[in-house]
Amino acid sequence: MIARILTRGSLYVLMSLVAFVSVFPFYWMIVGATNTSSDVIRGKPTFGTALFDNIAHFFNLFDVPRVLLNTTIIAVVGTVLTLALSSLAGYGFEMFRSKFRDKLFGLMLTMLSIPFSALMIPLFIMMSQAGLMNTFVGIILPGIASIYIIFYFRQATKAFPSELRDAARIDGLKEWQIFLYVYLPVMRSTYAAATIIVFMANWNNYLWPLIILQSNENKVITLIISSMRSGYNPQFGAVMVAVVLATLPTLFIFFALQRRFVEGLLGSVK
Amino acid sequence: MSGLKLRGVRKSYGNVQVLKGIDLDIDSKEFVVFVGPSGCGKSTLLRMIAGLEDITDGDIAIGGRRVNDVDPSKRGIAMVFQSYALYPHMTVRENMGFALKFAGVPKAEIEKQVQEAAKILELQPLLERRPKELSGGQRQRVAIGRAIVRHPQVFLFDEPLSNLDAELRVHMRIEIAKLHKELQTTIIYVTHDQVEAMTLADKIVVLRGGEIAQVGTPLKLYDDPDNLFVAGFIGSPKMNFLKGQLENERVVLPEYGNISFPASVSASAPQEVTVGIRPDAFDAGGSEQLPLKVEIVEHLGNETYAYGRLGSGELLTIATDNDRQVKPGDDFVARFNPSSLLLFSEDGQRIR
Repeated sequence: MIARILTRGSLYVLMSLVAFVSVFPFYWMIVGATNTSSDVIRGKPTFGTALFDNIAHFFNLFDVPRVLLNTTIIAVVGTVLTLALSSLAGYGFEMFRSKFRDKLFGLMLTMLSIPFSALMIPLFIMMSQAGLMNTFVGIILPGIASIYIIFYFRQATKAFPSELRDAARIDGLKEWQIFLYVYLPVMRSTYAAATIIVFMANWNNYLWPLIILQSNENKVITLIISSMRSGYNPQFGAVMVAVVLATLPTLFIFFALQRRFVEGLLGSVK
Repeated sequence: MSGLKLRGVRKSYGNVQVLKGIDLDIDSKEFVVFVGPSGCGKSTLLRMIAGLEDITDGDIAIGGRRVNDVDPSKRGIAMVFQSYALYPHMTVRENMGFALKFAGVPKAEIEKQVQEAAKILELQPLLERRPKELSGGQRQRVAIGRAIVRHPQVFLFDEPLSNLDAELRVHMRIEIAKLHKELQTTIIYVTHDQVEAMTLADKIVVLRGGEIAQVGTPLKLYDDPDNLFVAGFIGSPKMNFLKGQLENERVVLPEYGNISFPASVSASAPQEVTVGIRPDAFDAGGSEQLPLKVEIVEHLGNETYAYGRLGSGELLTIATDNDRQVKPGDDFVARFNPSSLLLFSEDGQRIR
């Protein structure tokens, strides 16, 4: 009995610790947004009264609606294109047999081992030669064939019953119709999970936009947060406001799709 | 006209031959069952008829039209799958009307067809439900309903009852037989269950290793099998097989007390044979006898099976005419008439 209480107790202590470690940055971010810069530096852990000053300061420094619009366009268009292209590829890899299928897939997976920093300069040269510097297309294009997402969709497609595809073929659907009207709705949990992953990656992307985007009117939220921090006299309260604003959309997407996200990771077809 | 003609139909995957040349005629409105052990190619053959698998060689004609290169949806077939293959995101109504919707049939007509099929299968109260809210038997009926609304020339059933429990399987078996009577269409039905084959079929096609072992009515296959395989596969419990010799016009069983009895056939030279005798061919009034020791007794109520070991070590299955007094350990004399035996040559072919 005592042993059970002890195990339970230590379990709760451990879980509380983990919860604290994960939640504290959020708390710090929100508290920071209400405090003055000097309070943030001092490490004041309680809510202050400088929220509206910080917001005003932030909006004075940047064209915030424009920045949010830029970020949204890149994240949404990037996510839609990535899901469309990568899920098609994953579906194709699993559904169509060919001699080269597994070799090709293996080759593709080995690409995962090449770090982005190694691809950065060749990609930069490609984009520059294609005239895509300082454009959203230049940001979005290199990411839409995501090996990781293709792999994820191929694995998930293994659980898609091939008899459903057979039934649809007998019902008179062409391959693209099977994909659109049967595969896509059946796999919606997989899509939900992939949406969260890809949207977050696109929204939070920093390095690639830093390289591609040069003019101020094209800047995205990660870039301006970084530029606020590195100024001569950084206003940390305003930085925290920006961080809150940058976090909200991903939080929203996550909570909206949370149930499907878990289903998707467990496998959507039951 | 909705008969089928299969001529020299072959299927290979690389070097592996799955079907080695199938010739088969299926008449209009016939209920044909493909039966055989797993891996015999029966499902592959069905999928080739459906157009879900390419034909390596040979021809398939449905209703007199060669369909080798015709799209599955245009072959005049409908298929019911083992896993039902219902679209999980659609209601029963949408599932049943899906094919018609894609064929451009007007909404009112789709609704009429769906209602008709739902009436036949008693699915009306379930039309708004999704597949996950249905029981196995209901799902199976929806799958059949989806096939019915297309008014196919030929229904294809791929082991449709395998996922159901025993009681429901018997029930659905009767439903399918009734449906065949009602719809008056050709049905091709794949199963590995020989009881389903015997009870449903007008004609059974027994497949083995990618070839047809025998085609015939259920009773023809039971009474008059062409080879050892069919004799052993059709009938439950299985036929008993004993080693023997055919000499002149007599069969000798040297391993079983050297008994001998007249054969229905004659051999020019003595030859090794396999003697087949069905459990229910044993008859208390038979002229010949095999003494054995009973090991296991199964009481089914309407029949009692005794499993007895012969002196040579073989286990024999005997239908005892419901002799409920038989007990394990008893000495039992199995009697039979030579006329009820079947003889098979060494290569497994029937000697007639």
